[in-house]
Amino acid sequence: MLKITGLEKIYRTEDIETMALNRLSMEVKEGEFVAIMGPSGCGKSTLLNIIGLLDDPDAGSFQFNSIEVAHFNERKRADLRKRNIGFVFQSFNLIDELTVYENVELPLLYLGIPATERKQRVEEVLEKVQIMHRKNHFPQQLSGGQQQRCAVARAVVNKPKLILADEPTGNLDSSNGNEVMQLLTELNDGGTTVVMVTHSEHDARYAHRIIRLLDGQVVMENVLS
Amino acid sequence: MIKNYLKIAIRNLKRNKVFSAINVIGLSIGIATCLIIMLFVKDELSYDRFNEKADKIVRVVFKASINGGKIAEATVMPPTAQVLLQDFPEVKEATRIQTSGTPTIEYREKSFREGALGFADANFFEVFSIPMLQGNAKTALSQPNSMVITEEFAHKYFGDENPIGKVLNIKSWKTLYKVTGVIEKMPSNSHFHFDMLGSLVSNPDAKSSSWMSSGYFTYLVLQDGYDYKKLEAKLPQTVEKYMGPQIKQAMGVSISQFQKKGNKLGLFLQPLTDIHLKSDMTGELEANGDIRYVYIFGAIAIFMLIIACINFTNLSTAEASKRAREVGVRKVLGSVKYELIRQFLLESIVLTSIALVLAIALVQIALPTFNELSGKHLSIDIKEHYLLLLSLIPFGLLVGILAGSYPAFFLSSFKPVEVLKGKFSTGRGSISLRSGLVVFQFFISVSLIVGTIVVYQQLSYIQHKKLGYEKDQLLVLKGTWALGKNEDVLRKELLKDPRVANVTTSGYKPAGDTDSNNSMAYAENDDTQMMRTLEYHIDDQYIPTMGMQMVSGRNFSKEFPTDSTGIIINESAAKAFGWGVNAVGHNITRLKNNDGLKIRYHVIGVVKNFHFKSLHESITPLLMVMESSPGLIVKVKTKDVSGLLNNIKKQWAAFNVDQPFSYAFMDEDFNNMYKVEQKTGTILGIFAALTIFVACLGLFGLATFTAEQRTKEIGIRKVLGADIPQIIGLLSKDFLKLILIACVMAFPLSYWTMSKWLQDFAYRIDISWLVFIVAGVSSAIIASLTISYQAIKAALANPVKTLRTE
Ligand SMILES: Nc1ncnc2c1ncn2[C@@H]1O[C@H](COP(=O)(O)OP(=O)(O)O)[C@@H](O)[C@H]1O
Ligand SMILES: [Mg+2]
Repeated sequence: MLKITGLEKIYRTEDIETMALNRLSMEVKEGEFVAIMGPSGCGKSTLLNIIGLLDDPDAGSFQFNSIEVAHFNERKRADLRKRNIGFVFQSFNLIDELTVYENVELPLLYLGIPATERKQRVEEVLEKVQIMHRKNHFPQQLSGGQQQRCAVARAVVNKPKLILADEPTGNLDSSNGNEVMQLLTELNDGGTTVVMVTHSEHDARYAHRIIRLLDGQVVMENVLS
Repeated sequence: MIKNYLKIAIRNLKRNKVFSAINVIGLSIGIATCLIIMLFVKDELSYDRFNEKADKIVRVVFKASINGGKIAEATVMPPTAQVLLQDFPEVKEATRIQTSGTPTIEYREKSFREGALGFADANFFEVFSIPMLQGNAKTALSQPNSMVITEEFAHKYFGDENPIGKVLNIKSWKTLYKVTGVIEKMPSNSHFHFDMLGSLVSNPDAKSSSWMSSGYFTYLVLQDGYDYKKLEAKLPQTVEKYMGPQIKQAMGVSISQFQKKGNKLGLFLQPLTDIHLKSDMTGELEANGDIRYVYIFGAIAIFMLIIACINFTNLSTAEASKRAREVGVRKVLGSVKYELIRQFLLESIVLTSIALVLAIALVQIALPTFNELSGKHLSIDIKEHYLLLLSLIPFGLLVGILAGSYPAFFLSSFKPVEVLKGKFSTGRGSISLRSGLVVFQFFISVSLIVGTIVVYQQLSYIQHKKLGYEKDQLLVLKGTWALGKNEDVLRKELLKDPRVANVTTSGYKPAGDTDSNNSMAYAENDDTQMMRTLEYHIDDQYIPTMGMQMVSGRNFSKEFPTDSTGIIINESAAKAFGWGVNAVGHNITRLKNNDGLKIRYHVIGVVKNFHFKSLHESITPLLMVMESSPGLIVKVKTKDVSGLLNNIKKQWAAFNVDQPFSYAFMDEDFNNMYKVEQKTGTILGIFAALTIFVACLGLFGLATFTAEQRTKEIGIRKVLGADIPQIIGLLSKDFLKLILIACVMAFPLSYWTMSKWLQDFAYRIDISWLVFIVAGVSSAIIASLTISYQAIKAALANPVKTLRTE
């Protein structure tokens, strides 16, 4: 599903150049659950952003479902993104002014899905992540675990083929964290591909495969049974 | 410590150049506008107050309602002043003024025709405080053929010679006047301005005891603290006592019979200080102001200032929230809340001070233009306005503190932990406060736009209204009476010129000052139904030259010798006399003069109603008779008007008369009737533009603020698939909603106000709903353009960066 070869990303600030990704190559198959690990600053988030079509690489090739997307323009990337990819962030990134329901509904609005179908699908995923009873609350009124479940619900409501999670449990205690990992596993069991960045060896064990990065390069891959 | 703060303040302003510039410019425009309007209002309110006895002086005016026609005249009968002084001990002084236009006045080889000439009773200077520089104010006007002139005109005529005792020649009357005094130029805020004042005793009519003629501006000085209303209440008896017998003699009815038919007539009093702003009568000495404009402009000044302060607050708050992190760090490092407040207040006071200085400079730059538009002579003069200028210092301080305190308290109350986590949010309360401010700003802007559009529509309606005559290509030759018999020679010469379509000998023109030749007339023999009518003296070419149309009957013609007692009336007269379309053949009797001489006419035609007064007034009954009247009106059929004028000038010179050649175009005279409205339209338009500009500056600040506050949200939305137009729409929608609310509030108010304004016109437009659409849509477009910069910037931002705060 994802085929990355020789990917490079360089950040230039006034006086320094940071090579965030250095000729990185990797592959993710449809239906896989991959964990990406590595020390802080090694380029994990950068990689995830490029996979998520939020950012473009400076060099290298990135094929999404066998289509070369490395040099897609913003518009094409946005279109591909909203149909195929769901995001889960460490800091949840829910919109404070919108209720749980409205937050989850948002991706469907941007896909132009009609109201009745929206309602049905939002309620379906809220049911699945078990925060249906909180649907009219605002994010600030929820616990961290509930907020992240809401964020997961939002990420999957448009039935994406790929879910990208950047340290989804980083801000959660272990029991809430486990709930979220459980959810991601269930989604993966349902056929969704999951790519997750994590610092936690415990969480990484939910995945099929661990890719370890150092200084923008893949240094090791472990396949888990 | 202050020095340290000041240093930080100035450094901060320098760092945010664009922002500081926007903020300072907005505030200074607001203050400058407010200052100019304050000068304007102060000047309007100051009229005639320079007179030491201003509070005790009243003017006597005449109001009547005769057979449904309303009359309100600024002048009264010749004996009024003397009678009131005699009969009422509370009247301490009474003086009269008569106007005489601007005749040619000569001294030796010097001849000018630009001085406004008036005549005044000997005690004029006891009543009005106009300083006399040379001569004796008590006696200067006591002898016949004396004249007092202004310093400026004395210099014009006599240079450095002593003016006293010199003799001026009013050529057309062949009378000589001896200069007995030199006065200062009359203050600009006086309701009359004469360059020369002759002694009224020179005019025999001034001694007339007739209560049937008029023409004297009459002023009374009342006893200290005496309420003029009490005197006014006694005037009906005076009128009955003196005017009664003369009415009976002239019209054959007693005043009580006259009043029983529903007619009213009487003398009324106006305080001197009300004349400029509250009086609007026939024959005013000069075009007056209008108290309503003072209110409107005063309100605009206050609104403008409020809007500017709101903006300042909004922009400062928007900018300040960028410094939230700085505040957080400072607090962590031990800065105390009040120190932060002090720092922010100081910054805001520095900004306001700069804005104040800039505002004064702006006023200086804008005043000449404003003066030209408003016809005023306003200036900021350190000596005259030092109080006003001094008061700006506490004012600036106040604005600085008011505008600065919100951001100061807002910022200094940030909780450092939250701010540093990038998690601060302004409460719902402050958002609705700021929304309220935007609504208020656009409420004012939209109201002003509606007002401006309606004024311009009415003006354009006036321009294009069918007047009943053709005002274009009409050339009015002035002062042709001086040609005497040669006037007719000139007329014939003009007719030979191929550039001339037609010429009429008549001084009556439907725009300007010939609208006061009233006469009393009645139908057939029924002299109990006396009607006040306007009378035109014309020849057989008048109606075709002016492009007027006959509704029935015919025009005057040389082929009918009986036309000397023929009369043409307008449709209003035909209706008022009760004949309608069948007026031709009926008779009209008109009082020739005040002695009761009557002439009987037979109606030969009815002329289609034409507007002989401004469109403020409806068309009243008008009679046209074939009588000689000096004046030539030429219908031109050429583009080469200057060539024609040169030709006329040459012929004029050949007649060798003292009167210089002068002319006017009818359409110019016509436009002059609406000068006040044109000025109002322009000033309103400028204020509308300024308010919108300043309001948009504020909107820009607010959009910046919002976009910044919502960067994270926008980032999330983009990650979830929102495209750029959707983000722009999201940011603009909220503002457009506010503008919609502002429109909903502004429409009824502006509709009501402008309907009131239009009621002053007898002929007026209906306010169309399109006006509101245009005002609403244009302010929405302007606002959208303002917001779009920030909205597009926010929409284009890469979400990877905005969400990277983790
Ligand atoms: N916008 C940016 N500008 C400059 N440098 C950046 C930017 N984003 C990331 N970096 C740098 O790139 C490297 C990789 O960053 P990142 O992908 O966020 O690491 P990780 O998520 O693995 O901690 C780091 O050295 C970081 O400092
Ligand atoms: Mg990271």
